[in-house]
Amino acid sequence: MDAIVSPILLYLCLAIAGIGSVLALPRQKISPQLIGGAIAVLGFGLALVLIGLRSVPETLSDGAANPFAGDRPNPFFYVFALIAIGSALRVISHPRPVYSALYFILTILSSASMYLLVGAEFLAFALIIIYAGAILITYLFVIMLATQAPSEDEIGELSEYDASAREPLVAVLAGFLLLAVIAGQFSIGVTQVYRRELGRADASLIAEIPAKVDRAFERRGVYAGLGRMELGELADGLRVNPDRVSLVVSNEAAFAQSLTDERVSELMPAAVIDAVPRGGIVAGSIVSVQVPNDARADNLDGVGWWLIARHPMALEIAGVVLLMAMLGAVVLARRQVDLGEEEKIRALRTLADEVERSS
Amino acid sequence: MTATLLASMGETGIGALTLYHYLFVSAALFGIGVVGFLSRRNLIIMFLCTEMMFQAAGLALIGFGKYHLNHTGEVFVIFVLTIAAAEAALALALVVLLFRRKESLDASDWASLRG
Repeated sequence: MDAIVSPILLYLCLAIAGIGSVLALPRQKISPQLIGGAIAVLGFGLALVLIGLRSVPETLSDGAANPFAGDRPNPFFYVFALIAIGSALRVISHPRPVYSALYFILTILSSASMYLLVGAEFLAFALIIIYAGAILITYLFVIMLATQAPSEDEIGELSEYDASAREPLVAVLAGFLLLAVIAGQFSIGVTQVYRRELGRADASLIAEIPAKVDRAFERRGVYAGLGRMELGELADGLRVNPDRVSLVVSNEAAFAQSLTDERVSELMPAAVIDAVPRGGIVAGSIVSVQVPNDARADNLDGVGWWLIARHPMALEIAGVVLLMAMLGAVVLARRQVDLGEEEKIRALRTLADEVERSS
Repeated sequence: MTATLLASMGETGIGALTLYHYLFVSAALFGIGVVGFLSRRNLIIMFLCTEMMFQAAGLALIGFGKYHLNHTGEVFVIFVLTIAAAEAALALALVVLLFRRKESLDASDWASLRG
């Protein structure tokens, strides 16, 4: 496939959305904001429907079967995408800043849901906690702080700079041209990025954290009749095969006893379970035990490992940036106090007295 | 159903078509952010629109990360979150200072800075 959607149709949808956005931006005189917003959401929705109708071919151009033949986003994706786009439009079009900030929280929540739909759980919840919980609350504080208290007769009136947008037509032209170029180029480029093999994420990662497998085996009681392995050895085994681990039987009676527990027996190969009553398993035999699902590396393990082991520099730079931002904010927010000459002299004198007394 | 779907999505990643869905929504949020930044006159709303552009970049990073079956995208989103928090702290401190000077949040009040 060369392009996901035909560029002409895509640009048409974006043009509809752009016209809607121009109408939706606030204006001094009565403006058709609601109709504009509806048209804009309709335009973006049409574009999403166009993209969604695209079918992935069963075979690749060289005749091989396409591993992504059934590729479709979760149906909930469309719901969250429309909520995100609609509330983003409301952020830029609502004349009252407090409502804009609240609609931005809605955008964040629906982006977090879209993260969840591809299995990025950690980031989804981090986004809700940090963005919606901390950053947006700071914004709300500042909006409350930096707004003049209205006098009795003008309650409910908007300040002039909120009521009307500056050059809505030019701004929408610039923004939507950029958007059209990005979306159009992506629809060609995305089919040409490096094609990855179909595989399981984090399959080999478990070899780096063998203690997780060790703990899972211990919880299930696998070690009742099987010898425990050093973590280093366990890691070597997992590096060769992340799905099964070979353990040595240390006590055949305890092993046979532990097989009555379903949580242990479900990990054993059928041949071993058959061989136990016939006395086929003695101390010293090697049994290949399956790694249980709850011991597999999950999203949190993956993010943690990649953050600490692969990109430690990003973490350190982030720390320095936060420290500098904190210092900068403290310096900026400090209030300048102007003292007169006499006050300065008085302050110096008290300071000198203090020094004298303490020495 | 949702639980198994989440598990399968996280494990095998997404294909090019799903990736394009994410990129389109990301581009749309970015474009809306640009429009807001250019057209609104309230300083706070302008900074809110830059946050929206950060958010769009994050969505694209998550999509690419899941397409390539690694976590580099997610690590970079953590970095973007940090930058957004730092920006919010500094920009809002500046906004409060500017508001104290002129008792107004209108960006065009500061047009004299153009020189």
